[in-house]
Amino acid sequence: MEKKRATEERRKFLKVTLGAFLSGALTSSCDLSRLKNPKTMVKSPIGPNILRPPGAVPEEHFAQKCIRCGRCGEVCPYHCIKYFDVKDGGVFSGTPYVNVMEKPCYLCMKCVYVCPTGSLVPCAKEDVRMGVAVINRQICVTWQQDKTGLMCKTCFSVCPFSGVAIKIDHDFRPYIVEEYCTGCGICAYSCIADTWYENNGKKAITIMPIKWKKIKEIKLEDIKKS
Amino acid sequence: MARKSFWKRITIWRYLFLLACFIVVVGNPFTNYYWDINFIQGWFQSLGVGNLWVVSPLEGLESILTAKAFYMPSLVGMVVPVTLAFLMGRVFCSWMCPIEFLSLLTDKILGLIPKWGTKLKYRPDLIRLPKRLLWFALITELMLTMIIGYPLFVWWSPPGLVGRETMFYVFYKHITVEIAIVVVVLLLNLPTRRLFCRYLCPLGATLALIGKWRQLVIRYDASKCVGCKVCDTRCPMGIKPSVGESQSVYCWNCAECVDACPTNALQFTWRDRGIIKVPSVSTKEV
Repeated sequence: MEKKRATEERRKFLKVTLGAFLSGALTSSCDLSRLKNPKTMVKSPIGPNILRPPGAVPEEHFAQKCIRCGRCGEVCPYHCIKYFDVKDGGVFSGTPYVNVMEKPCYLCMKCVYVCPTGSLVPCAKEDVRMGVAVINRQICVTWQQDKTGLMCKTCFSVCPFSGVAIKIDHDFRPYIVEEYCTGCGICAYSCIADTWYENNGKKAITIMPIKWKKIKEIKLEDIKKS
Repeated sequence: MARKSFWKRITIWRYLFLLACFIVVVGNPFTNYYWDINFIQGWFQSLGVGNLWVVSPLEGLESILTAKAFYMPSLVGMVVPVTLAFLMGRVFCSWMCPIEFLSLLTDKILGLIPKWGTKLKYRPDLIRLPKRLLWFALITELMLTMIIGYPLFVWWSPPGLVGRETMFYVFYKHITVEIAIVVVVLLLNLPTRRLFCRYLCPLGATLALIGKWRQLVIRYDASKCVGCKVCDTRCPMGIKPSVGESQSVYCWNCAECVDACPTNALQFTWRDRGIIKVPSVSTKEV
């Protein structure tokens, strides 16, 4: 008798728990993201040219969501996704990054479809915002064409959204259209400015990390304006 | 008193299954890197086999706790391991975990030493801690995770690290300092068998908690028992099947005691004869 009652109570408890859990999960009413403390206790190792893979959620949530399963790096056909270790990452250890100077992202979009935790959200190629390319006009050989006498156009021709994200003006000088730049880093990788003897091995393009959602908002506003 | 014939021992199947799981986890960086076969990705934090996604329950839970948001594929990925643990208890630990494979390998290698082999293989515990330390390990892990605000077990999980270090070695030709955690966990085996698994593993605690009311248990038949206590020496978890502890929450269904028992007093059984209980026909009415 005692055992039977215990069983019934247990079943009731299980049912209530399951119901509460399912209702919570299904309605997605548990939107606690607003309660999040924006301050993080540690500094992210993400910086210029060190970027998250495509489709990544904003950096302040990334290390919380990612479970370091390494599936993005294993499917990457170019092996451009690398992982922080505990020395340079701290709690970010095991999270993926793309160093565009070693190997840029070619936007094959394989990694976003294997992420089990939604750290990398599936999105279209042109919606990727890994960062934004910034051209240093003091170093770019085409911008300094009076001095160098060169017109290189390399970044323009390698950009996967050439003519949209990178445009060239009448003197073949490149400029970035920020709202369309995916930050894949192919332009920064293939920039030839480091071979110009005055530049001391500096490349003219740097990819600066940005907030993925923020650039989307900017883009929407721009569309509304125009 | 004769031992069971080779293929009838359950432990043989366990060793083979452990080996297969180890080969999958260690081998899949190679297939991914050298042949670009992406059919299997990841390791035991999240394993993708084709379209089946498996997410480890503790890592998934930590991700939910720190990100404070649900993500459906991650929840669905937790269904398979949680169901497995709910029905069969800690079988992940004893039948799949690469750490268990490596510990077993060290045990077997120690067993090859002449003279002391058997003594070393089934060595008595030098360090004995209270078993409930397991729960404190889980609570500490979760509290630390929530205080720091970043999931911790995702990067120091020893079974995950075995896969990650292999992947690092294959992909980037170097290993990281985290390999020390795996080495320490394996070294802790020497004073007491499975010291880490018994008392410190938060993932094991999660699975044990889910498997509290598991269906697959080892039944102890007191009428068949001759009291030889072989099972107590064989049990890697340090529990005593000879006093009926095999149905406790700390048992991980590894079947070492089932095979060691000379009189078949310990047997795998489905509790309540499986999920559907067959109503017994009373003979009085007939």
